[in-house]
Amino acid sequence: MIRLIRAELLKIRSTRMWLGMLGLSVGFSLLGLGFYLALAGVEMEGGQSLPPVTDPDMVRAIYASASSGVLFMMILGIIGISGEYRHGTITQAFLVTPRRGRLLAAKLVSYFVFGLGFGLATVLATVAVAVPGLAIRGGSASLLDHDVPTILGGTVLAMGLYALVGLGLGALIRNQVAAILVAVGWVQIVEAIVTVAVPQVGQWLPGGAVRAVTRTTGGFGGLDELNTLPVWGGVLLLLAYGLVFAAIAAVTTVRRDIT
Amino acid sequence: MPRHGREKVKRRCCPNWHDVSVIEVQELTKRFGTVRAVDGVSFTARPGEVTGFLGPNGAGKTTTLRMLLGLVTPTSGRALINGRRYAELERPVMEVGAALEATGFNPGRTARDHLKVACMAAGLPLRRADEALEATGLAEAADRRVIGFSLGMRQRLALAEATLGEPRVLILDEPANGLDPAGIHWLREFLRHLAGQGCTVLVSSHVLAEVEQVADHVVIVARGRVLRDAPLAELVRRGELTVRTRQPEELRRALEDAGAAVRAEDGLLRVSGVDAERVGRAALEVGAVLTELVEERSGLEDVFLELTRAEMGETQ
Repeated sequence: MIRLIRAELLKIRSTRMWLGMLGLSVGFSLLGLGFYLALAGVEMEGGQSLPPVTDPDMVRAIYASASSGVLFMMILGIIGISGEYRHGTITQAFLVTPRRGRLLAAKLVSYFVFGLGFGLATVLATVAVAVPGLAIRGGSASLLDHDVPTILGGTVLAMGLYALVGLGLGALIRNQVAAILVAVGWVQIVEAIVTVAVPQVGQWLPGGAVRAVTRTTGGFGGLDELNTLPVWGGVLLLLAYGLVFAAIAAVTTVRRDIT
Repeated sequence: MPRHGREKVKRRCCPNWHDVSVIEVQELTKRFGTVRAVDGVSFTARPGEVTGFLGPNGAGKTTTLRMLLGLVTPTSGRALINGRRYAELERPVMEVGAALEATGFNPGRTARDHLKVACMAAGLPLRRADEALEATGLAEAADRRVIGFSLGMRQRLALAEATLGEPRVLILDEPANGLDPAGIHWLREFLRHLAGQGCTVLVSSHVLAEVEQVADHVVIVARGRVLRDAPLAELVRRGELTVRTRQPEELRRALEDAGAAVRAEDGLLRVSGVDAERVGRAALEVGAVLTELVEERSGLEDVFLELTRAEMGETQ
């Protein structure tokens, strides 16, 4: 099993795709972070566009920027399985490991571990900019206040579990382009609309679970407080999504004919 | 090729373990919806032989090979390697090497990394990756990404991958595709060398001239069914001998007495109904000097076209 996991990790490392996705993850996180830092407490057209950096909600939002990277880890997960079908390397993989369940298990474990590392890198980059940024804007530079440890830890865990969601989605749809379009459309359009329009439903979506673990309730910038699960609820919901999609990946792949 | 001590022990203690490496396909059938892609195919590929697996496009060759390798589940029938289904093999990569298609590579991965992934997953030492690249003439390209590889280089990489575990059974799907003449020559030598060492080699192809030069045994399929399963020599024998002699009349009478049908043609005798040895004996008996004795053969292509045309006509 260990050798299969090492082989899967080498598969991820031996192409440049992960670097590109990590770049996008860090880039998107820093973009959101920069937006919050720049506009926090700034007077616009008579009112404040965003609360000042001394507001705990603002601090949470700033650190939670790192969680926007989950989309890119999910895409990496999608590519991790649909790419094997696309390039025909799934044949090699099953010839070496005809017990497909073991290969799938190794893939799920290695992508989860890789996702945690990916999340850690994104979080570290976010912290490296947020701490001096907050200090400059006159906010707290402490990483222990305002649930920051929960937010950062939750983001890392969410990255690992979104990798599993990506694998499940890739195994289900198999067409790489279609799977990525579904993922992006889901996160950027469906979840975004449902979260604002029907928050009592939105809190149960994967994105809602991420908001729960990153303590982002949306209760600033003119929006009402959104329905949000408690942190432990978010963790359990994320785990459930990760396991359900891992099961989808396993069930769809173990018996399918590879033609 | 080196065998592993572990396997020798297993051979003794496992009664089902075959002494030789064979591929056995028994009444194998695969239906996709209402289409019978493979319909009751049976054949055996033996050690020390190159078995050619031939058929027109869509004949069910690739589906048969994929069932043999556990990638496609048969509707019925069995496909065994060394007496077991592929999924039941203990260390499949060390028993069977397979090269199924030239496209099975991630274009962004280097040749060496591609093989290292397989070595790691199979529990083989990583140096096997470099050895296999060396053996297939790809050592120079080891650190290049596959996206820059020609079709011929991809075929070589697929062969390198198939031989990573130094298996005794090799299954190759259209390995000559995309190879240049030097590459084809190299492939032929490579396959003959493996068969010479007692390996079992099953090669599917539609390039009949290639198969003709390398195969010992030929299985021809069309529309999912086996049309012929015979040694190549038997398949292409037309049963006619051409004899040139200084004493055509005497030899002709002797041969006809021996039960042969003989036609005289431009100083040649065309003989059928007896084998070459009988002709030689007849010549010896009447003291005829033979200047030429040739067993006429048809090309594999003719045999193939004749068989497949008959099959297509019959079912239409």
